Amino acid sequence: MKYTPFWGCMISIKYPQFEASVRKTVDKLGIELVDVEGFTCCPDPIYYQAKDKIEWLTIAGRNIAVAEEVGHDVITCCSGCTSTLSEANHILKENTELREKVNQRLKKVGREFKGTIRVRHIVTAIRDDIGIDKVAETVTRPLKGLRVGIHYGCHLLKPSAIMQVDDPDHPAILADLVRATGAEPVEHKLRLLCCGKACMSDDIPDRMVIDLIESIEAEKADCMGLICPTCFDEFDLGQIVLNRKYQKGFQLPVIYYFQLLGLAQGLEPKELGLHFHKIKAGRVTEKVAAA
Amino acid sequence: MSGKLLGGAASERENLRVTSTVKQVEPRQAEISFDFREKLDATLEGFRHNYCYQCGACVADCPAARYAPEYNPRLILLQALLGFEEELIGENSIIWLCTNCYNCYERCPQDVRPVEIIIALKNLSVERGTNPEEITKISDSVLKVGSTTFITPLVDRRRKELGLPSLKEIPVEELREILED
Ligand code: SF4
Ligand code: SF4
Ligand code: SF4
Ligand code: SF4
Repeated sequence: MKYTPFWGCMISIKYPQFEASVRKTVDKLGIELVDVEGFTCCPDPIYYQAKDKIEWLTIAGRNIAVAEEVGHDVITCCSGCTSTLSEANHILKENTELREKVNQRLKKVGREFKGTIRVRHIVTAIRDDIGIDKVAETVTRPLKGLRVGIHYGCHLLKPSAIMQVDDPDHPAILADLVRATGAEPVEHKLRLLCCGKACMSDDIPDRMVIDLIESIEAEKADCMGLICPTCFDEFDLGQIVLNRKYQKGFQLPVIYYFQLLGLAQGLEPKELGLHFHKIKAGRVTEKVAAA
Repeated sequence: MSGKLLGGAASERENLRVTSTVKQVEPRQAEISFDFREKLDATLEGFRHNYCYQCGACVADCPAARYAPEYNPRLILLQALLGFEEELIGENSIIWLCTNCYNCYERCPQDVRPVEIIIALKNLSVERGTNPEEITKISDSVLKVGSTTFITPLVDRRRKELGLPSLKEIPVEELREILED
């Protein structure tokens, strides 16, 4: 199965360990990644969309048009990129007036949005096109006994009419994928709460992240598991900031799903860039080594 | 069009003042702006605010409302219906507390998509120049370098260590060209 990956800026620039973990794990699932030239920032669904939704659509439409020229479905590895590119793809496919408006602008650079491909988060594509059983088959070192506190984040699932991934009130996709690695998904009380990243307030996002981490700690999870570099930023770097600002003692490792899968496929923590994390993953790697 | 919706000749409109029940803290005189309602109607997804029947279904699962008692998406919709321009897109508007979580989009029985109305309001705020600085900073970075994150020498070193190809060139000139009118 061939896909064009849209890495996005957070992953390719700030957290390349997530790109490495995807590249090193998905070939075993029968996925071939066909990289293309010419992408820009998606652009981000919070700030740029707030600035000007038509410009936001235009830039997103251009990125999709670039991928259409090669022809494979796009997979995104960041919930933000998923939000922007899936919604823009949906709007531009459905709304002919907006499509014409965007295409007039794209014409200047010799491009056109045609509406010929799909854009999905990589976990959705894996579940639907490859199958979770197939993920489990690639596991050589099951993460037995590892308790993973799941964080869904908002933009994988909602708006559900556009995303069509899972029931946003009772999602199962990440729990199923975590289970496939042999680990134990922990569905804590606030697993559907947003991290508050977009909220322009000095203290509200802090309070949300504190509540989320405490909700996971209450279930005695060994780590947090998620699928978005922006969520990761909020929780990994976030804990360091919160520890300082509010004299907390948070030390909950935050692991990207494909790093978990990599460990389960027998890859070494270093190959997956776990040593780049601010909150050290020792708790996790020790448990994996002992399993 | 929205003028007709509420009735009233232009001269009357100018004098039209009502006591706002919207600001919970301090009830005050707010001014209805019909121009503002028309502007919101013309914004992408903005017209949907007209479908709101004030049921409050968008409030229960709103994290911004849970964490900030002064925040309430139903009241934001009411202010939009009343055309309270200053409240919604003046300096320090409460709309910027929205977390973009889309829970209200899921819940609204009228398909108003409250978060989309809030995004439309944000677009109007940016047009007026009353938006928080971060919005300008990050969107400027997209226009300047084609990404929201700056590339430092550390990036290529990390990528190399992980066995990744070096970063691709971002065609930022082309990005700017499609935004010019
Ligand atoms: S959503 Fe975020 S990470 Fe993804 S491309 Fe846009 S700005 Fe970069
Ligand atoms: S949890 Fe935060 S970073 Fe993650 S998708 Fe939601 S808003 Fe974005
Ligand atoms: S936006 Fe929708 S859910 Fe909220 S008050 Fe209006 S009709 Fe009800
Ligand atoms: S998108 Fe904004 S208004 Fe809607 S529920 Fe989330 S925080 Fe509340």
